[in-house]
Amino acid sequence: MSMIKDEVYDRFKSALEAVAGKCYRTSKADLAKTVVKALKDDYGYTDACLAETPLLKEAGVGKAMEEAGIKTYTDHIRLNQETAKGGVTESQYAIADLGSIVQTGTDVDRRIVACLSELMVCVVKGSNVISEWSDFFDTIGALPEHPNFIGIVTGPSRTSDIEMVSVVGVHGPLNLTAIVVEDE
Amino acid sequence: MATQEELKKANDKLNNEVKIALANVTLNKTLGKMCADYPAKRAKANIGIDFEANKENLVAAKEDAANHVDEMIEMFTKNATARGAKVFRAKSNKEAMDFILKFCTDRNAKLVVKSKSMASEELQMNEVLEEHGIDVFGADLGDFILQLDHNTPMHLVLPALYLNRDQVGDLFTDFQKHEVSHTIDDETKEARKIMRDKFIRCDIGFSGCNCAIAETGTVCTMTNEGNGRMVATLPTHHLYLFGIEKFVRRFKDAEYVFRVLPRNGTGQRITAYLSMYTGTNQVVMNKETDEKADKEFQIVILDTPERRSILADPDFRQVFNCIRCGGCQDMCPAFALVGGHAFGSRVYGGGIGVMLTQFLIDPVRADAIQNICLQCGRCKDVCPVGMQIPEMIMTLRNRKAKANPDSVQRFAIETVNNRKLFHSMLRIASVAQQPFSKGAPMIRHLPMFLSNLTVGRSLPTVAPVPFRDIFPTIVQNVPNPKGKIALFAGCLLDFVYTDIARDVVLDLNSIGYLVDMPMDQGCCGSPAITMGDPENAVNAAINNIEAMHAEDYDYIVSACPSCTEELRKYATFFDEGTEEYAKAKELSDKSYDFCKLFYMLGGLQDSGDDKPMKITYHDSCHLNRALGVSQEQRELLTHTNGVELTEMFEHDNCCGFGGAYCIQYPEISQKILEKKINNIKDTGADYVVVDCPGCMMQIRGGLDAADLPITVKHTAEVIAEKRGLI
Repeated sequence: MSMIKDEVYDRFKSALEAVAGKCYRTSKADLAKTVVKALKDDYGYTDACLAETPLLKEAGVGKAMEEAGIKTYTDHIRLNQETAKGGVTESQYAIADLGSIVQTGTDVDRRIVACLSELMVCVVKGSNVISEWSDFFDTIGALPEHPNFIGIVTGPSRTSDIEMVSVVGVHGPLNLTAIVVEDE
Repeated sequence: MATQEELKKANDKLNNEVKIALANVTLNKTLGKMCADYPAKRAKANIGIDFEANKENLVAAKEDAANHVDEMIEMFTKNATARGAKVFRAKSNKEAMDFILKFCTDRNAKLVVKSKSMASEELQMNEVLEEHGIDVFGADLGDFILQLDHNTPMHLVLPALYLNRDQVGDLFTDFQKHEVSHTIDDETKEARKIMRDKFIRCDIGFSGCNCAIAETGTVCTMTNEGNGRMVATLPTHHLYLFGIEKFVRRFKDAEYVFRVLPRNGTGQRITAYLSMYTGTNQVVMNKETDEKADKEFQIVILDTPERRSILADPDFRQVFNCIRCGGCQDMCPAFALVGGHAFGSRVYGGGIGVMLTQFLIDPVRADAIQNICLQCGRCKDVCPVGMQIPEMIMTLRNRKAKANPDSVQRFAIETVNNRKLFHSMLRIASVAQQPFSKGAPMIRHLPMFLSNLTVGRSLPTVAPVPFRDIFPTIVQNVPNPKGKIALFAGCLLDFVYTDIARDVVLDLNSIGYLVDMPMDQGCCGSPAITMGDPENAVNAAINNIEAMHAEDYDYIVSACPSCTEELRKYATFFDEGTEEYAKAKELSDKSYDFCKLFYMLGGLQDSGDDKPMKITYHDSCHLNRALGVSQEQRELLTHTNGVELTEMFEHDNCCGFGGAYCIQYPEISQKILEKKINNIKDTGADYVVVDCPGCMMQIRGGLDAADLPITVKHTAEVIAEKRGLI
């Protein structure tokens, strides 16, 4: 597994910030702490849904959230995300050039978190940050089976439908924070 | 085929809509700003992108899909079905709507939430479902506003741009039965609140499609708001509707669609959401128990005779390549003024909207709206699949003219084509105009029904002596001529702007070329082409090929780009291998516009009288886009000592003249002219330099009517004056 290059991370961060997203880079050891910071320190949220993945479990994200006083839901996400402000999950890929995170696969909880939360916190492994748009098509094309779902998310939900004035958060998340985890 | 009466009714309705649109202050402000900002925004988003290479790949992918559409449908259906989707191929709009209605009623649906789908607008789906007691909500904010306003999309990407925040606030207040503040932030929050409840409660989600991939059975949707994901993630049933033109074969082909769609559509490098669905996906069936299962995923493919008729028509087949980015709308000077309600049908508007209206919505409406196209060609600069929109509109115009010949129009064209008759009329006009011109070089007012022509614009008077009578008096002092050039003066230089014609001769003399003017030349045929009368354009070509004797000259020069373009097209009017073709081709190949020819023949010199001359330059649509000449004249001008060039905003945008356009749609033409005049004024220049006598007439008329002390000059005039040739 290769580490993310500084240049690729910098490109991802700057592209994401250009579309009003936030970006952190952390080690697996500090991942849980960074998720808490993203939820609580940055936005003051005290409740969140967590759509678990092996990495998030291994890093103790849920436990850290609870310990930090964040009411954390790991099941009944469809119900709880209707009211919980934060949403935490992992995305399979990111695209550095565009500042996009990429969800693949059919797991509905991960998809709900990306739709309904006010703040979406999305963790991605550094080695899965793809450099360019066309590389992304090559990566997906090389998978043994085409994923049932591919969702590319680039910054918070936005609209310019009234007078061409850009406003964030019309339907989906008002804010999006990506956390890139260094591979070990 | 529409009757004359139907066409008249459609034209009257359109004229009324144009007036309403032009009077809509909000539309003028928001749409005008959006269209003005669009080129720069798009250019920024395209930094680092090889647009031309992407165009090549995208066209290849779309053409491959169009050429194998049955294979695409079969492959897509097989692959999507294998992954748990259901696919219905609808052979008519009615069949599609009946199927969708039954799908909803069979599932006892009370609430359908829809992310944006133009195909559903074609079916008038909301209305049909609502007639059957099913609530339908457009989740896209623009769509939702349209729904509250009981209106149709004004633009492909920004459908509700014709309303301002106050009007939207009123609509929201009426709907919510409580006061919603008139700020865009609060309105957006209110929309979030309203729609969140709908997303959570809806029985069926409905999606439109940007691209369908055959080899994987995948459908793809781009949105910024996230509504596309909501309707696909939350309800247990999901309907997806698209037409057969949305196919590409390979997953990799979608790369080309999505690289350019957001860049061209909204000036974004990518939209906030791009979602791709291959077969069914998991949903929560019961949020209380957290029971999960695969949703019902029903795809409806519109494979209708109307869509097939596009494929079957070689002149319009390229419409299948369109990815509905809306770029052609944003670049169109007429669309920027009137929007897609006037310049469009209830579904599609703007340049591409004409063709989509013709084939998919209402051919009678298409017949009317095609007239709004100025033929400036600006839309072609940005089309991600290189569609020849103005040419397709011209083909429609020709077909319409053939099916419904307009006797008055035909008489006018035949008169223009009859050199002797037309020239006699112009000579009479130079006398008859005197009561209106009162001896001045411009006519500021015309009586009765002609008065519209002089609103916001003065018209030039016909010259007292035509250039054909002046030409023999010009002394051409060229001791050792390098060659001989024939002048094609065209109507405006021969009968109105005779000084420009004289300066063309003197300029070419100054670099060692003799100029001749074959006297039997007549109208170039461009007006006939513009009015959809190709037969008379060919007659004009035959006359001029005979008159110009191209074989006797090294070059043919014209100082009117519309004429030059027409001359260069003559060869295409005849069959290859014929004598007519050979003669026409010789004339076409030797014909150049003045500035291009002058530059080619060594006219670029650092010379001039050094007297300060602050200029700005207006690009003629025909010279810039049709003939591809934009730099030569700038070099000629900036190498002229004393000339200081300041570029105006939208220097490449049409002045509103458009040949007969300024007569047919004087109100639109005048508004476009007003913008041009303001842009000229903003540069602080004392002179506007042009290369087209049509633009000169229009801009000079606008400046005169606005009483601005700015002079309009042709490049040939600037060179002659600054180099002391006159």
